[in-house]
Amino acid sequence: MTKREISRRGVLKGSLMASALAGTASYFGPWKENRVWAQGAAKPIKLGLTCDASGQYGNSGQDDLRGIQMAIDEANAKGGVLGRKVTWITADTETTPATGSRIAERFITREDCTILIGAVHSGVANAITQVAAKNGVIYLNTNSSAPSEAGENCSRIKFVWDGNGTNFSKASVKNAVDSIGKNWMLLTNDYVWGHTTSAATKAQVEGAGGKIMDNLLVPQNTRDFTAYLLKIQQAKPDVVATAIGGDDIKALREQVAQLKLDGKPAWINNQQDWPDVWGAPNSLFGVFGTTWYHKLALPGVAEFVKKWQATNKEGSIPVPGNVSYNGYMATRELLRAIERAGSTNNIKIIKELENLKVSATDRMQHFDAYMDPVTHQMQQTIYLARRNAKPSDNTDLYEIISWTEPKAAADTDAQAKCKLTPYEQVPTVDS
Amino acid sequence: MIPTQQSDSVRLITPTMLVLFLVLATVPLWIARAGLYPYLGIEILIWSLYALAFNLVLGTAGLPSFGHGAYFGIGAYAFGLCQFNVVANLWICLAAAFAVAGLAGALVALFISHRRGIYYAFMTIAFGQIFWTLAIKSHKVTGGEDGLLKIARLPADLGFASFDLAGNVAFYYFVLIVFGLAVIALWRLVHSPYGRVIAAIKQSEIRAAHLGYNVWLYKASIFTLSAAVSGFAGGLFAMAQLAAFPDVMSLHQSGYVVMMTLVGGGLVSFWGPVVGVFLFLIARDVIGALTNAWMLYFGLLFIAVVLFRPEGVAGAVTAAWQNRSLHSMRQQGGSALRLLFGGERWR
Amino acid sequence: MFDLLPHILNGLTLGLLFALIALGFMLIVGLMEQINLAHGSLFALGAYFAMQLMGPRPPFPSDVAHAWLAMPLGWRYVATLILAPAAVGVVGIAIEFCMRRTYGKDPLYGLLLTFGAAMVIEEMIRLTWGTRDYVLQVPQGVSGGFLFGDLIWSTYRFYAAGIAVAIIGLVWLLIEKTSFGATVKAGAHDSEIVRALGINLTRLRLLVFVFGTMLAAIAGIIVAPIWGIRPHMGVDAVIPAFLVIVLGGVGSFWGAVVAGLLVGLAVGLSGAYASEWSLLSMYVLLVAVVTVRARGLWGKKSVLEA
Repeated sequence: MTKREISRRGVLKGSLMASALAGTASYFGPWKENRVWAQGAAKPIKLGLTCDASGQYGNSGQDDLRGIQMAIDEANAKGGVLGRKVTWITADTETTPATGSRIAERFITREDCTILIGAVHSGVANAITQVAAKNGVIYLNTNSSAPSEAGENCSRIKFVWDGNGTNFSKASVKNAVDSIGKNWMLLTNDYVWGHTTSAATKAQVEGAGGKIMDNLLVPQNTRDFTAYLLKIQQAKPDVVATAIGGDDIKALREQVAQLKLDGKPAWINNQQDWPDVWGAPNSLFGVFGTTWYHKLALPGVAEFVKKWQATNKEGSIPVPGNVSYNGYMATRELLRAIERAGSTNNIKIIKELENLKVSATDRMQHFDAYMDPVTHQMQQTIYLARRNAKPSDNTDLYEIISWTEPKAAADTDAQAKCKLTPYEQVPTVDS
Repeated sequence: MIPTQQSDSVRLITPTMLVLFLVLATVPLWIARAGLYPYLGIEILIWSLYALAFNLVLGTAGLPSFGHGAYFGIGAYAFGLCQFNVVANLWICLAAAFAVAGLAGALVALFISHRRGIYYAFMTIAFGQIFWTLAIKSHKVTGGEDGLLKIARLPADLGFASFDLAGNVAFYYFVLIVFGLAVIALWRLVHSPYGRVIAAIKQSEIRAAHLGYNVWLYKASIFTLSAAVSGFAGGLFAMAQLAAFPDVMSLHQSGYVVMMTLVGGGLVSFWGPVVGVFLFLIARDVIGALTNAWMLYFGLLFIAVVLFRPEGVAGAVTAAWQNRSLHSMRQQGGSALRLLFGGERWR
Repeated sequence: MFDLLPHILNGLTLGLLFALIALGFMLIVGLMEQINLAHGSLFALGAYFAMQLMGPRPPFPSDVAHAWLAMPLGWRYVATLILAPAAVGVVGIAIEFCMRRTYGKDPLYGLLLTFGAAMVIEEMIRLTWGTRDYVLQVPQGVSGGFLFGDLIWSTYRFYAAGIAVAIIGLVWLLIEKTSFGATVKAGAHDSEIVRALGINLTRLRLLVFVFGTMLAAIAGIIVAPIWGIRPHMGVDAVIPAFLVIVLGGVGSFWGAVVAGLLVGLAVGLSGAYASEWSLLSMYVLLVAVVTVRARGLWGKKSVLEA
């Protein structure tokens, strides 16, 4: 009899203690947050930065974060957006879709973030998109270059700021089939970016009269490429096209360079991200794509580099690359769009972004860029590069061999595959 | 047997359960003010159900399963695949999650139920890894490492009324009701004659076999049941996340549920797993916000519990509130405690 | 058939590495009847310590560090092969002290404790070194490639396989041909008699455990240049390790070696046909063998059979 009463009391006390604990804990404030909010000032605009800090794309995620923060600081230095300060919060999405989903949920429901920014891994981007779309929250996919992001995985609330696998394939493949050879082998990272990029490459190769000998799937976080390199040596293709990213491509490059396989066959590495290149500069080989390079001979580039370096003195990467650049551009254009829309109503911002046009000078690229209103992907200049045989300093790793205008590299199939929800069906978000 | 008050074990709904349900029902009202959010409440309920199902095998039957995440994950995938390929009905898809995970559990149980102890643990890990690898590799079916996306929170259609579960608070109440029903069922199971036989098998398989019980069948059936309920929880999780991911099936995350259950006191208390889940997820959210090292602290806590307090939080609390020393608890308490402190002599 | 030859060779070298990885684990299971799930994390720790020692900021006072860095890479590498496992051995001592409370209880306790230790060590690695990938430098002589039969092979891989053979041989000699080895085997077989003979069983257990952890560390250092260094690398080691043990059978030294080769062959051959399934092949092999011979290929009755 008595024992039962005590255990009931025990449960009550326990739950009271727990809730008290949870309540006190809330005053510590979660995550790394920038809370600058004077009394009586206008309510700040809060951005949720969903960047990887660990896993296959941890390095790129952090570089993405640097670019995004630079754009936010610039806007705040000019007095904020619509007279309101821009604040942000970030958490590690661990290059894992499940974590991305959880963090998006937290940012939206607990942190009241108006807009989410940031992704490198397309799986993570998709998981975040689902949660954001459910709530009507705008999401900027800064650096994930899966063609499906602008195709079957597009969304009314999502905007893609990186060139994707199809763009880079279009810029590189036809030329390579004509000048190097018709027999191609594909190495594909086993997730959505890998698959869709390799599918795009295959379409391009076959369209140019070439042949795909084999498509080898490489699980994520593979380090030992011996079996694959043996198979490649046995098959003797003319070209190997890789859709491998993050730490995996670094490992692959090291091993290929060690075995001196970088000459024959020819390697086309789709897009290479600056953090992956900088991580192993001596093993850079083949032809690859990028959306920007810090030594482009264009107005504004040098100043941008200096500004970036001023805020990133202790980092491990000394100059900005495409990842930081995409993060910066996405955030800058978003904040400008909010200013033009005159409000933080999500539909108004979406409509502003859908009609976005940025001049070449403003983009620090060779051609004007514009947002495709049907697929929500930014169409921009596509650069092809290879290892610089005559670098001017130790950061000058690329030799830019060509620049393609957006229309020529555009993914013409994406528009058919992308079905956006009508405006009326998107939940309204306004802060 | 897990020590319980004699009168409580014959009840359908115990006072502890009532209080717990009442408290949980009020959670959405104050959770935001406590610095948390309804989605966390949903996660806690779902993982609690999963941990309770897991504890059927670890605490009630004394069998160490280190690859249980596989069934949680399989349930999630089954829910999603049922929704896309069979019929988008909430009840049918949840039943599918239960059935498919149960089937997987039955398959594994066939291979391992003749053993116990370390060998059993090894094989559960191996099978867990097989399922995890299959989930990651079959990307045409499961979406691979990207997960199975676009799973919807199907409406709860009871014939006379239909409830939309898209919002977090509505979904929380749905999960709470399901959780409550499942807890009542599990409580009855553990305290039924079937449950007593399982407890007897945990104490000594030889004795139970001598008494004429088909030990293999009991061990296989409890594992299958545990896998099925874990899969059911997985189906709920798929709805919560709007997707099914392979991560929960990994060895790492299968280890999480072992840690939660042990720290909470699952070896000696029915409610241990719930306490453990609560501690773990709150720690992840609150401490994880302050430092990246929260897993380190939880791991150290786990080691301390294994070394010094294997009866876990629930065990320690029960002993304290009942004003009994742990020593007297060990005398009176079930074979779990004898197992912990007696070693070979008690087998 | 000739096409498969490179893959078979690849599989055999991989198999020797698996056998090396499983060695420390196997000794602890066989001789102490304890499952050390922390084996993977100690494997990783060995690689990290080695990387730190070889790298630009070795943990020595600055004048010692200067002298150290001035040494040629080859000498530093050899010294690291001795120093890093010793450091991991110290961690092993700490774990063994904790494990003492679990002796005599259900071996499940040792399992849970080492599982907790594995998580703690992995988190500490993550906190100390971050989550990025590191590379272990190796001397010029063993890196790069060589041409053999129209294909380019990685020199390091063969060097690593050679070292694995050497270490396996040395350990076998130690266990079978020395009096220390005899004492250890006796202690596993019948601890009461060993104690009655006046041998300090506690110290013996400590030595065996530490030896096992040091073997884990050496395996980590040898395999690191092939698998890369990241916090999660321990899992890639502990899973094959216990697969090899269960497959080969507990208590059989050569069983573990042969099992390692079989696992390596399975992975290597499946790498030739369907590379993305090569991980799964390990588990399928395990299930197949265990269904037919529950104790593994050469297993004796052991702690696994409870």
